[in-house]
Amino acid sequence: MPVELISANHAAALAATLAGRANRTGRGFCSGVYPITPSTECMEYLCVQEIEKGRVVRVESEHSAMGVCIGASAAGARSFTATSSNGLAYMAENCVAAAGLRLPIVLVVANRTMGPPWNIWADHGDALMLRDQGLIQFYCADNQEVFDTVLSAFRLAEDPRVLMPVMVCMEGFILSHTVAQTRIPAQEEVDRFLPLTNIPQRLGDIPHVLGQMEVPRQTEAHRLQHHTAMLGVSRVYAELQQSFGQIFDRRLPDPVVAYRADDAETLIVSMGTIGATAERVVDALRAQGERVGSLRVRMFRPLPADEIRGWFAGKSRIAVIDRDISLGFGGVLWGELRGLAAAGTLVQNYLAGLGGGDIRPEHLMKILADLRARQAEGPAVLVEAI
Amino acid sequence: MEHKNESEQSGQTGAAALPIGLPLPLEVRVHGRGGQGGVTCAKLIAALYANMGLYVQTFGDYGSERSGAPVQAFTRVDHRPITNRNKVYRPDHLIVLDPGLMGSQVLSGVAPGALLLLNTTASLDEFGGQYAKYRFAVVDATEIAREQGIGSSSVVIINTTIVGAYARLLGVSMSVLEQSYASLGLVDDLVAARQAYERVKLQEPAEDAGSPAAAGTAAGIELQAVIPVTGLTMDIPAALKTGSWSNQAPVYREYTAPCNAACPAGNDVVGFIQALKHDGPEAAAALLLSTQVLPSVCGRVCPAPCMRECNRGAFDGAVNIRSLERWISDHSLLQPVRETAANPRRVAVVGGGPAGLSAAYQLALRGHGVTIYEAGPALGGVLLNGIPAFRLPLDVLNRDIGRILSLGVEVQYDRQLGRDDLERLEHDYDAVIVCTGFGQAHALSAAGEQLEGVEQGLAFLDRVKQGQVTVEGQVVVVGGGNTAIDCARSALRSGAATVTLVYRRGREEMPAIKEEIEDAEREGVRLMLHRQPLSFSGDGHLSAVVLAEVEQGSPDASGRRRPVITKRTATLACDQVLLALGQQTDIELLPEAWQMRDGRAWRGEQPLQVRFAGDCATGEGTVTHAIGNGRRIAQAALATLAGEPAAPLQEPPEAVVAPAQIRFSHFEVVPPRKDRHLPLATARNSFAEFNLGLAGPEEAERCFSCGQCTKCDTCLIYCPDGVVYRSGEGYRVDEEYCKGCGMCVAECPRYAMEMKEKTSRR
Repeated sequence: MPVELISANHAAALAATLAGRANRTGRGFCSGVYPITPSTECMEYLCVQEIEKGRVVRVESEHSAMGVCIGASAAGARSFTATSSNGLAYMAENCVAAAGLRLPIVLVVANRTMGPPWNIWADHGDALMLRDQGLIQFYCADNQEVFDTVLSAFRLAEDPRVLMPVMVCMEGFILSHTVAQTRIPAQEEVDRFLPLTNIPQRLGDIPHVLGQMEVPRQTEAHRLQHHTAMLGVSRVYAELQQSFGQIFDRRLPDPVVAYRADDAETLIVSMGTIGATAERVVDALRAQGERVGSLRVRMFRPLPADEIRGWFAGKSRIAVIDRDISLGFGGVLWGELRGLAAAGTLVQNYLAGLGGGDIRPEHLMKILADLRARQAEGPAVLVEAI
Repeated sequence: MEHKNESEQSGQTGAAALPIGLPLPLEVRVHGRGGQGGVTCAKLIAALYANMGLYVQTFGDYGSERSGAPVQAFTRVDHRPITNRNKVYRPDHLIVLDPGLMGSQVLSGVAPGALLLLNTTASLDEFGGQYAKYRFAVVDATEIAREQGIGSSSVVIINTTIVGAYARLLGVSMSVLEQSYASLGLVDDLVAARQAYERVKLQEPAEDAGSPAAAGTAAGIELQAVIPVTGLTMDIPAALKTGSWSNQAPVYREYTAPCNAACPAGNDVVGFIQALKHDGPEAAAALLLSTQVLPSVCGRVCPAPCMRECNRGAFDGAVNIRSLERWISDHSLLQPVRETAANPRRVAVVGGGPAGLSAAYQLALRGHGVTIYEAGPALGGVLLNGIPAFRLPLDVLNRDIGRILSLGVEVQYDRQLGRDDLERLEHDYDAVIVCTGFGQAHALSAAGEQLEGVEQGLAFLDRVKQGQVTVEGQVVVVGGGNTAIDCARSALRSGAATVTLVYRRGREEMPAIKEEIEDAEREGVRLMLHRQPLSFSGDGHLSAVVLAEVEQGSPDASGRRRPVITKRTATLACDQVLLALGQQTDIELLPEAWQMRDGRAWRGEQPLQVRFAGDCATGEGTVTHAIGNGRRIAQAALATLAGEPAAPLQEPPEAVVAPAQIRFSHFEVVPPRKDRHLPLATARNSFAEFNLGLAGPEEAERCFSCGQCTKCDTCLIYCPDGVVYRSGEGYRVDEEYCKGCGMCVAECPRYAMEMKEKTSRR
């Protein structure tokens, strides 16, 4: 398998390109794009690809970019776009529409701090804004994972049991602009992995309406359908992992990536690249005899709650690190996970790397020291920023 | 749970051989400027290592600033996949693309024995032992890249060149480098890379300089002492000096405001308004009185060319400067103190009108002896006789005159001088300044002008000033200047049934103050424009005037369109005509053997200490012009007496701040504050002052202060690098960190800054 030295932005665009070409005998590929730092390179790279039966439409705003994707997808095409930060905010209305219409669009988000004050660096807060809107969310930790996740996101989104948009998130600059060796499969392998896009509700020969006005009981039914589909994602994902491993000869990471967590007393829980740093810290502390492990939540929606609850069982201390803040509450990840530990386990939130700050092993060491001290002291406070 | 497979290989085949002794994992940090290609340089290095079959990771670290800002880029190299997602804090190899960046920030975390490659024109020797503890190498990559035409002449891109030097330091063979460049599609830059490969000079570290940093623990990270929260400043953009890279920097400077340039009296308009705003009327008066002898007068009757030029006029209406001047003079009791002259002179001033008063005041202020020879029984000239009391009350005039007399000016009243007298004064005094004002009023040369009922306007105004004048019936005033308006309004107040003002041009061309024209109309004066009296008729006493229609011809020298009298006429019944057609300049006093050149009297080839100032010399016809000319003539007289060259009477035109140079968006729209007036019903029948001036000094807040810094902090607020500091009375720019982006200059609301080339400034 050829190895390319490319950025994660390019890796995402390349995955979309291969997925687009894979639908050439189906209803093709169509993507609406609009640039914003740090996801710009992704759409730029996509724009220069030649995709048989594919078209990349440059529009005047993120809102229209998703509009193009909705139209393309509703017409049965495979569809993809990428954005960041306030671009995602502007796109949000149509993201919600794409989810409500159950269209399998893949959306790459190069995470960037929401402004103002303006800041172009990484923060998970932009993608988390869409937490509750019926889009599947993945957070990646390295270039290969970005490529693999985007590729498999098409299959997951388009699975008839799922049919909803998938967001693939990567921290701006930290991942989006980092160049590293990335294994790029051949088109023929991708063709085998991705079935032709089939959108059952697509607008075709029989005229019908998508997303029409509903009465309460209909909305309740649709919400239940959507929620049930969400809850089934884990099972579909597991099947997909199997197929991915067979075709590409490497493992597609689990929804929750655990590292030396089995016998750990203390867990560091995080999303994205912070997980990679946490694993390095785990190695360092294990070398000193400390029983520390790491849990990286890769799939945030649907939340693999049962799996996480399993990992939390028997742990003494859990530090949940958020590169985001729900203002007036605390870390979003922590808010989701704090109820999954047994009584007596300290689940402490730490907000770190907001606005793109570099989270170094030293910082995590300090967090673990603080965590130990807190358990010794007794009741925990709600939020502690480092 | 399974661990990461640490023995995983990068999967590349046909990789180039690894240089001997390459420490792995390896971290490279590149420092450059936005636009130099630093990030690409780190990518090239990554590609070089990737071609050796190693795992690499590379990324840049930069903000949203424009080109030239400090940029870092990092490359990590290892035998196994790289999971470190941090920036590089302890580089094994440091590459610096711009020597201007060198400093403790750049060298931060670089251990002794580490490789330091610097792009510089200097040789190794020139650094002495400065970098002796490193493997220190230099190459002039900029020169090589420039020779090879990579980038542009102003922004040379050196990344592909310096990687050649770096490859040499690694011990990579030229053939491997060629393969790498070929695989990257950079064959065109290979010549430059080869030259850098050949020219780079290396100095091994000194013996006692210590060993290279340990390449990490078994687990791949070094355990560091915990950094206190307050010490976590790593993510703040590096405070790197701009050094030789930036070529421009802002400077604070003053530009001439249009009002200041336009003031015939030479007042510092911006200065006195800002002084009023910040320090009150006394401070403003102190500044105003240095050039302006009659602020109470000019604050009422000046045509205010300053207001015509005010940049605020292009925004929301000119600042009401005239009335601010009035406000200052009406609200301060400041009496300037007479200085002591080192060499006191005795000067005779002939004529006590505005020019004479200005000259006398400036001379007395400087401690010289002044005697005014005044033809009438009181000082003031045209101010006393020619401006009606409802515009300039006598007590107001006397306030300004009293200030002059308090300086010790002597006055000889009722002294109508002749030519002989002037020769005597020239003999008796160190200098003589003649300010006798205009002479004869212009006549109309129309038939019937001698009829009873046809009168010169100035004579009429003088009569009105003297006492009870009663006017009856219909009055026609001829002329378009302030005297005409004054005549018309005085006639109304004296009992005229109707007043019609006849002027041969249009309203826009009327020389009178716009507000005065409006006031006159409001009081009931009817304007009859584009009309010219052809003849007056009546049986002994005037009973009618024949008016011809006037058309606009081609523009004359003043730019105004020449009036062309047509044959279309009409007769207007009237009982009185007042002629206000202006006056002639008059130097009748000049003895026959003398000549006048440039405002100075000469006897043959001998210049005399006799000068002419004001309307008798210039005919400019306004109080403000006379004040300016009187002051300048007085200063010229003193200068020549002291044997110094006199300053030119007319200052060369200055470049003034234009409306387009003001950032209107920084100002709120605030319409001008208007003067208050007597109620119309009262005013029409009264010689009490009609205009009551401003209610307060708030109008001063509207002054843009064009070209003059007001310490508004806009530069400080907008500086993206935070390198503008308050300092003493103004600001200081830390040029060592200033990138020369020019935002402060672009944002300055009032054009008090400019960008200067750094070289030309030095």
